[in-house]
Amino acid sequence: MSVFELLKEYIETGRIKLDKSRFEGKKITIHDPCNYHRKSWMSFGQHFLDECRWVTAQCGPEIVEMEPHGLNAICCGAGGGAWAAPYERERLDYGKWKADQIKATGADLICAPCHNCRDQIMKALTKEYDLPQRTYYIWELVSDCVIFEPWSEEEVKKSHEERDKQYERDGVELEEEEEY
Amino acid sequence: MEALDLTKRPKSKLALQPEWADVCYTCGTCASGCPVTGVDGWDPRKAVRAALLGLEQELVDSRWPWICTVCGRCEYMCPQGVKLNSLIRYARTLRERDKVPGVLHKGVAMCMEKGNNLGIPEFDYLFLLADLSKEMEEGTVEGHHGEEYPAYPGFYVPVDKEGANIIVTINSKEPMGEPEDMMFWWRIFYAAKENWTVPKQNWEGVNWGLFTGDDDALKEQCRRIIENARKVGAKTILYPE
Repeated sequence: MSVFELLKEYIETGRIKLDKSRFEGKKITIHDPCNYHRKSWMSFGQHFLDECRWVTAQCGPEIVEMEPHGLNAICCGAGGGAWAAPYERERLDYGKWKADQIKATGADLICAPCHNCRDQIMKALTKEYDLPQRTYYIWELVSDCVIFEPWSEEEVKKSHEERDKQYERDGVELEEEEEY
Repeated sequence: MEALDLTKRPKSKLALQPEWADVCYTCGTCASGCPVTGVDGWDPRKAVRAALLGLEQELVDSRWPWICTVCGRCEYMCPQGVKLNSLIRYARTLRERDKVPGVLHKGVAMCMEKGNNLGIPEFDYLFLLADLSKEMEEGTVEGHHGEEYPAYPGFYVPVDKEGANIIVTINSKEPMGEPEDMMFWWRIFYAAKENWTVPKQNWEGVNWGLFTGDDDALKEQCRRIIENARKVGAKTILYPE
């Protein structure tokens, strides 16, 4: 299951409720990861572009698109293992395409749904090309908007029982911190 | 440089199927749309030509198939349906394993041996999850940007939980260096009251065999993920990569 389908299902069915105020009034631009969209479309006939935008919009921000985006989006520059390959200068030069696209949107925030793209944009391009925006995973956006409701005592008790059983099975013992 | 005798074209290792190179019109759509056209003098159209003309070893020995991110724009736009992604990836396959750039093949070998690309031991992994669970439950987590989070009573990370609805793979960079980032999903699961779990072993979600052109490793990693799901009876695999 893709992250977009699961997040959409949670929101649509009301299993999670979102507080939009956190991102309302902000402009966000979405980087479309090659594997999630273009290559998913080419391999499986599903591109999830609409689900990605729908979920993002549920968090409150206004979406401003890069050009090109969607199935024709430009790679962040770190795909296909390039993030872990030794060609750093080439990876940063490649990423300039992305950095220029991001700058042109005038967005306040960046949504990068993939681990690899997020690392390239947040840890490499932001520094190299002086991008002022903060980069979010799509699940980070959702997570930050989720309205928190503590579980009932009964649910907590059941969960603790399951947890203790699991820790016993796996031999996990946490040291109790000393209380002062 | 010797002229190629096209009547005695050598059988190319990179043109295994006609749609990998034979059907190319040489229109250059691929090269025009490629962000790394011209790097080291290569571009996608040249790569296809090299495959067709039996010059694949030059491509295999070059850095270019590794600077290309296999983003697939070229293949997406190709009017002739040339399978450029397969071609470039196979150029990586043909690279000797000890000449795969950087840490990629070491990660693949590590994953095959220890179940994750960074070789995190099972004990450390289980202890980390338990420790982070405790922090979430007690509400002592602080975000990278000064966010304050509440206490999540009853929260823990279920490992190999029988009958879980969803089994989630993990990106090894998170337990290794960014453990709090795993909590984004955990807070969502808490709110949704999802019946979820993570695998005890072989939990790696990043498939570097895909990147290095190593089909055996790629398949083995997928097999393990499916095996983990079957073991606990999970109907859904969430693969956030």
